[in-house]
Amino acid sequence: MDIFILQVLNALFYAAILFLIASGLTLIYGVMQIVNMAHGSFFALGAFVTAWLIGQLAGNVHPLLLLLAMPVGAFIVAVFGMALEPTLLRPFYKRPEEYQLLLTFGILLVLEDLMRVLFGGSPLAADQPMAPFGSMPVMGLKYPNYNFLVIAVGIAAAIGLWAFVYRTRFGVMLRATSQNMKMASALGLDVGRVYVLAFGIGCFLAGLGGAIVVPTQTAVLGMALDALIIAFVVVVVGGIGSLKGALIGAVIVSFVRTAGVQFFPEIELAVLYLIAAGVLLWRPTGLFGKA
Amino acid sequence: MSLLRTVNLKKHFGETRAVDGVDFVVTEGEVLALVGPNGAGKTSLVNLLSAYLTPDSGEIIFLDQDITNMSVTGRIKAGIARSFQIVNLFDDLTAFDNVALSIFSRENKTLKLMSLADHDHEVNKETDEVLELFGLGGKGHILAKEMAQGERKLLDVAVAYALRPKFLFLDEPTSGVSTRDKAQIMDTISSVVRAGHITAAVVEHDMDVVFKYSDRIVVMSDGKILADGSPDEIRANKEVETIFLGTG
Repeated sequence: MDIFILQVLNALFYAAILFLIASGLTLIYGVMQIVNMAHGSFFALGAFVTAWLIGQLAGNVHPLLLLLAMPVGAFIVAVFGMALEPTLLRPFYKRPEEYQLLLTFGILLVLEDLMRVLFGGSPLAADQPMAPFGSMPVMGLKYPNYNFLVIAVGIAAAIGLWAFVYRTRFGVMLRATSQNMKMASALGLDVGRVYVLAFGIGCFLAGLGGAIVVPTQTAVLGMALDALIIAFVVVVVGGIGSLKGALIGAVIVSFVRTAGVQFFPEIELAVLYLIAAGVLLWRPTGLFGKA
Repeated sequence: MSLLRTVNLKKHFGETRAVDGVDFVVTEGEVLALVGPNGAGKTSLVNLLSAYLTPDSGEIIFLDQDITNMSVTGRIKAGIARSFQIVNLFDDLTAFDNVALSIFSRENKTLKLMSLADHDHEVNKETDEVLELFGLGGKGHILAKEMAQGERKLLDVAVAYALRPKFLFLDEPTSGVSTRDKAQIMDTISSVVRAGHITAAVVEHDMDVVFKYSDRIVVMSDGKILADGSPDEIRANKEVETIFLGTG
């Protein structure tokens, strides 16, 4: 029973991180119809910036205050993304998708080098925020209580994002723009502003994913691509453009992956890709996507 | 008083002269019908006047201001709104949100980003009133895509009406609906437009509708204005009768 509980907790922890990355990716696609290959870089940037901030603050402030570095790190990523959207990305929205893919993949590569220049090539560890939370025994092992915080952040992000998109005035504008940009613009809505904010929110979510995961694993170069690939599996399963799809997709992928690590580690990733391929064959738009 | 006028307005698509030197005046408060066979240039003219097309030459004057080069948004702010032949709604939003968006926009409330969508009492009240006016009271919670065609047509006009325009274009407001719904839709639109003292131009094929609801009829053919007069004058016009009404 203990092993089951442990694996469920691991799956929920992983699902929370995946949801943060995938919801940003799907939000950006839903509003701007752009497949953002650079999205994994915003996750990695959030991890690096937060690890660096924690490194600077650790020892000087109470360990619990180090948690503040996480929203700050995510906010820095959001501001960076909000500068990137109107300057580099927007001129490509009317171009064919291959240009957008090339551009955003190029941004991913540039950001990878930028992170190497800024933070060095070595992994950055920042596990200091975990210490004050302690741990609980599961299966004779110590399960970090910090992971519950990550799960709570994932749940709060899902509820907050739902409320933002479906309950606020901006959410109405966001959905209107994603459905019919020309009409929204004609009605006098500031579509450019909607784009910038939607992109900023997407980047904030990815950055927050990187920020809250970095106490549990080091920030390393290459984590951007890994995050991007697995986030794509999530949105393919859930349906790109759907927040509900991002949530359900994140839960499915994380539970399958956790089971894979436990029971069939050699083919764990292959199983995920097979599931994604199966969903594409059965429902090409994903579980909750629209044609 | 002239609300809108065009001076030698032209729009050609290759060899096709969609709008070919149209001089056209709309008087404040009138309900005008724009008729003609397919390809006569009616919708092109409406698209030019609402900035969905750019003219090759000519001028568009609205309330003594040259709006020829003004954008769609600019013209909406100036007081020109329109509905579409194929309804142009936010299908995955509710009827309420479709109308409320127009009001947010008109009142420049779109910048209050974090405001709760349903906590603006004034917008809520006005949205409910607009829906009620168009016979859609109690249907605000329904997604636009789930409404019947006649209701969607009315909602499309309601969205334009909520912008509180001075001049409203209605592009075939009864196309694709049953004969029974047609009368109901036109009765509703006509009463709202007249009660609100809104100047309106209706593009319409159904001549019964045109004769019943308009103050003035402009007949177009080959991108030009062929005849312009009251319903009685147009009814008595032999050229129009022969060519368009098929009863000559």
